Amino acid sequence: MTNNPIVKGKLVCVALNDASQFEAMQAEFNEAPYKSAPTQPVLYFKPHNTWSTDGATVEWATSEGAAAESMVVGASLAVVFGEECCRVSQEEALNYVGGYSLVHDFSLPEVSYYRPDIKGKCLDGSAPIGSVVVPAADVADPQALTVVTKVNGETVSEMPVSQMVRGVAELISTISYIMTLQPGDVIAIGFPGQRAPIKQGDKVSSAIAGVIELNNVVGRV
Amino acid sequence: MKHARVLFNGSELDVTVEENGQLKSKADGQLINETDVTWLSPIKEPGTIFALGLNYADHARELAFEPPKEPLVFLKGSNTLTGHKQNAYRPDNIDFQHYECELVAVIGKEGKNISREDAMDYVAGYTVCNDFAIRDYLENYYRPNLRVKSRDSLLPIGPWLIDKDDVGDITDLRVTTHVNGELTQDGTTADIIFDVPFLVEYLSKIMTLKPGDMIATGTPEGLKDMQPGDKVVCEIEKIGALETYIVSEQEFYGDKY
Repeated sequence: MTNNPIVKGKLVCVALNDASQFEAMQAEFNEAPYKSAPTQPVLYFKPHNTWSTDGATVEWATSEGAAAESMVVGASLAVVFGEECCRVSQEEALNYVGGYSLVHDFSLPEVSYYRPDIKGKCLDGSAPIGSVVVPAADVADPQALTVVTKVNGETVSEMPVSQMVRGVAELISTISYIMTLQPGDVIAIGFPGQRAPIKQGDKVSSAIAGVIELNNVVGRV
Repeated sequence: MKHARVLFNGSELDVTVEENGQLKSKADGQLINETDVTWLSPIKEPGTIFALGLNYADHARELAFEPPKEPLVFLKGSNTLTGHKQNAYRPDNIDFQHYECELVAVIGKEGKNISREDAMDYVAGYTVCNDFAIRDYLENYYRPNLRVKSRDSLLPIGPWLIDKDDVGDITDLRVTTHVNGELTQDGTTADIIFDVPFLVEYLSKIMTLKPGDMIATGTPEGLKDMQPGDKVVCEIEKIGALETYIVSEQEFYGDKY
């Protein structure tokens, strides 16, 4: 497990923020256990044992010594806070961003969103974050970025930030009314709804063209 | 020994709490009166904050839930932490905010795949927390979600961390809450469904536990709505009594409101 020098306090991830996934799940949202679609961003933490780095090998999940059957990965634009951010409007939200990076969320497959997914999401080293933070001043419009993920060189997803249910500024504002964000806190603003399946030994590479990339290898049991 | 952290004359101090209630600086032995300090969270470098839902048999019944077959664990951000005798806020325009008095086990040693038999070797000590919830904000996604459970100031903790060996057996400790002096919650850790050794084993199978990680073990029955002006005292026998003052959202955030 490698700690990450960028994320200091909280890594907040946004689930169900891919608009195509959100639309595709409408019927499921209306059934038990959900009963209705979420009215708020669906958030989860990746705690400090998960933080890792560019280039790190990500352990394959095990349970009681046995290798997990399957794992998946998604990549997200990572918003890194540069100053304390408490109860800010959408209009001023981007002023609190120190810069941008990438985060990989390695996990067990997302089977259910009903209960917090500690077993699936809290695996050691399962949240590598890019090696640099690209200064906010160098990114004219975070909504114009696209995150591309490749597994063993083959493209498995292309996720434009513009195709999220909620955008960067809206999420910063909403989350800042729940919890005060500190410098070094990170929000992973959204992942492709279809997480990419991975195998032991796979190379996972994500990039925002011309801005940043993140490379990891999946370990073997 | 009871270990606390306080703000005294503008500096953060690590102190021990003496028999007579005086605070003794770990740095230079200076004795300080409690009335001269602001209490901070006793955990200097908070790690992952785990909390348990529906972990008392009586409380699960109160909420009309079947007791879970597996622990219902959720995580809380460090922004939620505040100390003894501090303010916690009631959000505007809600109907139901309640306290939850909980025994907290604080991890003292790093470990993975810890067996139930060895679990207590990884626990440094205990404290008390008040794991407030805003029931209006519940939705059936990652329930209980961060909007319910990860708000600023809504996890008062303390007053101190008490060494494990000073407490001994934790399987039948009285757990009480008083609101404005009235007893509103009265249970015992004997009703805990998944106990501390179980939880250390369970969580460490999933992930590495580290010093500063905290496991808040759930709360017994006895919920009551909170209003600004209320004083809430959460107490666990042999561990401590944690006092919190409820204020409005506007009073809490002041200029940032």
